Amino acid sequence: MAMTTTPEAVHSRAEATYRPAANRLGLWLFLASETFLFSAFISSRFVVSGTDQPEHLNQGLALLLTLLLLWSSISAFRAEAAMAHDNRRLFHREMLTTIVLGALFLVGVGVEFNEALTDFPANTIYGSSFFMLIGLHAFHVLTGILALGVVWNLGRLGHYGSDNHWPVEGVVKYWHFVDLMWVAIYPTLYLFGGS
Amino acid sequence: MDQDRRNDWIWFGSLWAIFSAIGFYLVLGIDLLPAQWAHEAEIVDDAYILLMGLSIPIFAGVAAALLTSLLRFRVQVDDIPTEDGPPVHNNRNFVRLWVASTLILALMITVNPGFIGIAELRGEPSADIVVEVQAQRWSWKVNYENGAETFNQLYLPADRRVRFDITSLDLVHSFWIPGFRVKIDAVPGRVTYLYVTPEGVGSFEDDFNLRVQCAEICGLGHAQMAMPVTVLSPADFDAWVTDLAEGA
Amino acid sequence: MRQLLRAVIFGILGYLIGATLTWLVRGGSLGDEVCVVFGYVVGLVGWLFGIGMGDTWVREWFGLPARESDVTGWKRYLGFSTDHKVIGVQYLATFIVVLLLGGVAAMIIRFELAQAGEGILNADRYNQVMSMHGILMVAVAVAAILGSFGNYLVPIMIGADDMAFPRLNAVTFWLIPPVAIGLLAAPTLGSFDAGWTAYPPLSVVNNGGQILFVLAVTTFGLSSILGGLNVITTIVTMRAPGMTWGRLPIFVWAAFAASMISLLTTQFFAASLVLIAMDRVAGTVFFDGGAGGDPLLYQHLFWFYSHPAVYVMVLPGFGLVLETITHMSRKPLFAYKAVVVSLLTIAGLSVIVWAHHMFTSGMAEYLHGPFMFATEMISVPTGVIFLSAMATLWRGKLWMKTPLFFAMIWIFQFLMGGVTGIFLADVVTDVSLHDSYFVVAHFHYTIMGGMIFAFLTGIFFWFPKITGRMINDRLGIIFALWLTIGFQLTFLPQFWLGTNGMNRRIADYPDQLEGANLFSSISAFFLGGSFLLLIYILLSAARRGPKAGDNPWNASTLEWQVSSPPPEHNFSGQPTVVGHPYGYGTADSRHAEFAGMTAVGLAEPEQAGTGEGGDNE
Ligand code: HEM
Ligand SMILES: [Cu+2]
Ligand SMILES: [Cu+2]
Repeated sequence: MAMTTTPEAVHSRAEATYRPAANRLGLWLFLASETFLFSAFISSRFVVSGTDQPEHLNQGLALLLTLLLLWSSISAFRAEAAMAHDNRRLFHREMLTTIVLGALFLVGVGVEFNEALTDFPANTIYGSSFFMLIGLHAFHVLTGILALGVVWNLGRLGHYGSDNHWPVEGVVKYWHFVDLMWVAIYPTLYLFGGS
Repeated sequence: MDQDRRNDWIWFGSLWAIFSAIGFYLVLGIDLLPAQWAHEAEIVDDAYILLMGLSIPIFAGVAAALLTSLLRFRVQVDDIPTEDGPPVHNNRNFVRLWVASTLILALMITVNPGFIGIAELRGEPSADIVVEVQAQRWSWKVNYENGAETFNQLYLPADRRVRFDITSLDLVHSFWIPGFRVKIDAVPGRVTYLYVTPEGVGSFEDDFNLRVQCAEICGLGHAQMAMPVTVLSPADFDAWVTDLAEGA
Repeated sequence: MRQLLRAVIFGILGYLIGATLTWLVRGGSLGDEVCVVFGYVVGLVGWLFGIGMGDTWVREWFGLPARESDVTGWKRYLGFSTDHKVIGVQYLATFIVVLLLGGVAAMIIRFELAQAGEGILNADRYNQVMSMHGILMVAVAVAAILGSFGNYLVPIMIGADDMAFPRLNAVTFWLIPPVAIGLLAAPTLGSFDAGWTAYPPLSVVNNGGQILFVLAVTTFGLSSILGGLNVITTIVTMRAPGMTWGRLPIFVWAAFAASMISLLTTQFFAASLVLIAMDRVAGTVFFDGGAGGDPLLYQHLFWFYSHPAVYVMVLPGFGLVLETITHMSRKPLFAYKAVVVSLLTIAGLSVIVWAHHMFTSGMAEYLHGPFMFATEMISVPTGVIFLSAMATLWRGKLWMKTPLFFAMIWIFQFLMGGVTGIFLADVVTDVSLHDSYFVVAHFHYTIMGGMIFAFLTGIFFWFPKITGRMINDRLGIIFALWLTIGFQLTFLPQFWLGTNGMNRRIADYPDQLEGANLFSSISAFFLGGSFLLLIYILLSAARRGPKAGDNPWNASTLEWQVSSPPPEHNFSGQPTVVGHPYGYGTADSRHAEFAGMTAVGLAEPEQAGTGEGGDNE
């Protein structure tokens, strides 16, 4: 087994063996780490203001946002599956759907923020938690959209195929994660407690 | 066990004994702690001394092991070492014994001075008098039960159990009386409690540790955020506090 | 060089663009904290883009091929290098400089404290210098060992050719300069003066410099998280064939445990600082007791990270010290498995003890007992580390070179830190000692004694590997003794000061405490002086120390089987691990082999006498 090779050859051989595992583990660790970030903020909400809620909460809008995001997770999933089967057209379409849904979500958040500014501004304790949590999440949605955009573009340019689409997989997992965090934030702000 | 190995342990044992003796002599012979002005100070100091007493043999043991190693196991190496030590990878029983003894020691101190100490220090939730304290950058305001009020001065009766109700108007401060060995933070938006029973009559003039010192950094005047404490006999205190309330 | 210049320009431009845009949108003045925040964020992006992300990732994001940097030689150290050894050295150099900066601040502090009353610093300046000292040193403590030795040694020790994510690794390092710049630029906005702990409400209402503290330290946290992620992934996925979990060198385990902590808890520090930033610039009221907020929220979040952080500081230190002890006493590491279990147990327990910093904070009293109990339990796994260190020394063949000196001194220093920690974990004594100089002495024993001494152990042990040159051993030992004596004389009196009524973070103290303070200050200058000797030792050895050869300590682990410094990609062939890392004293024991391996790290058993075993041409 001790054949003499150049370091470079050893290097690229080794790279091929561990790369997929390293990428996958790296992503999961990153998501675990992000989970802790969200849990820090979510627990802060309960520490400072329990489950108190203000009188005006736009429950309808929040539900709509939740549905948008859930839908986008499905389309993201379909985009990934499409790439796994080399179905470029479907990938293209589903990716675009996901991005549009994400953007709509952000628009919804903007509307929500605008209402919140009058109903429970940042200098109330619920308002503080509200802006912090929704803002944090919206920031993640934004980065998710940018990442989806990059992958969509590269997919369009033909950089990926059924056996080589890790970036698609990674970004879609991240998108699911962002969705999942919303599923935690939504009840934290809208459902627990209240009247 | 061959002679050489026995000698290692004899060295270790003797050094341990010597270091422990020196340690105990220093710790018990020298007065490391300031004067006690409250019942609570005795509880805290007893705990402190107990922990000190327990740590001395630990320090002595580690120091003895290190010194024995240094003196007996060093080798002269020229250029590159050619000799290895014995291939001892483990000694399960010794590890078990070690873990068991550290665990027992840790549990012991968790119980005493841990839980027992907490119970003693906290005592019954009942007080002879209640004193309200308000911290604000960088001063203290004190209110007594009968409406008397002092500013940057704290008067207390000896031998009566006092409850302080402490709060802050701006930042986190901390109410520390070194002579009593107790402290609790003053937190805006909360009232925190502290029980003490002062012992002995005296004032800041007698001991600079009879003072309330802010112990949580609060900016410019943090170091100066202190007020002298005066402990009066119960009769003197009653007279003083009535005078003050009526004069006001 | 070109990259660095570009990064600086983009960083400054980014700052100006971010700040100006914010100012245009919202009015006010350009120096407002909101403008600073957005300026900093855009500046940071510009900096990262300029230093190398623009050449690599960003180009790939748009489907263009990456432009890899082609600089060689010493210039690699000033640019975006993805070589883990270069990054390790970058960390090492950076944090030695930060350590010295923090040391200068320490000297100023002790000068002020030499006498009661106001001296060279007024109370405000004092708090600022003290806070700067604190945060610089905490940064050193958190990142110096993991950043330098973690990067340099972990891949080689496990038989890999680099970290799992080399570019991410470079980004992790290049996030550090903005941290330093942010902190050092704070005086332009009036400095920060709330200590390294930055408790609100003080940190919400004080000078604008605090916002730079918040931004810089959050960036630093990001760097810690990414670094931890990289180390863990590397260890899990890139071990050489045969490198089972039971054959990992102990430093790798220590780095693994510490990285777990920084990966999963740093967020809490970041979160607490983000909340402060929001209270400062967005008008939220998280810490405003009057408006329904709660200052204690910060303390919980903060200590949920910052207690585990002390293990991020010392666990890698444990690793360095244990490595050094086993190699230099030429005995297998005692109770390897128990040590591994202890490292992981400490990492696990470290997240359930945070509120021992809050016994006097006014939090609910029923929490005191459980947190005290959990804290005392950490002494059990820590005790195993001590056992392993001492039992490995016992009956070894101690080669008393500087690294082993440092390692043995470490044992005693860290014991002081650990035992005094029990006093602070015990609620009764902590009620008296909390926020007093006792705490200051305690954490200097743990951080300086436990982390800096381990760092120095590592520097002296691996210097020959990193530079290919030997250190002057006699000077090294003089330095070790000088430092130790200075350290003890400086910090021992502070225990006494704490029990005798001196609170921490003060520029002035009661006159009665002057004697001990003067003594501590003079000792501190003596201690500070020893670092000049360290600089001399390192620089002179790097320039004209004798050649070290591949394996000057005749040690067994993989990093000693390659040249000093190791070649690019570390190994000439794929290493295969065949045995225990510390097979000292066992005939024919081998840890690993690979094609073209030259050095062999184990002496022959005594009677073999052929004398060739330890040679390394
Ligand atoms: C050169 C020797 C050193 C001296 C003389 C020294 C001295 C001091 C002093 C006088 C303080 C102020 C204490 C207070 O008022 O609360 C302090 C704080 C501190 N030091 Fe050091 N120090 C030294 C080295 C170190 C090292 C090596 C570290 C860590 C790696 C360190 C970490 C800290 C920390 C974290 C604080 C707390 C600052 C705060 O309260 O925010 N120090 N030091
Ligand atoms: Cu104060
Ligand atoms: Cu802690």
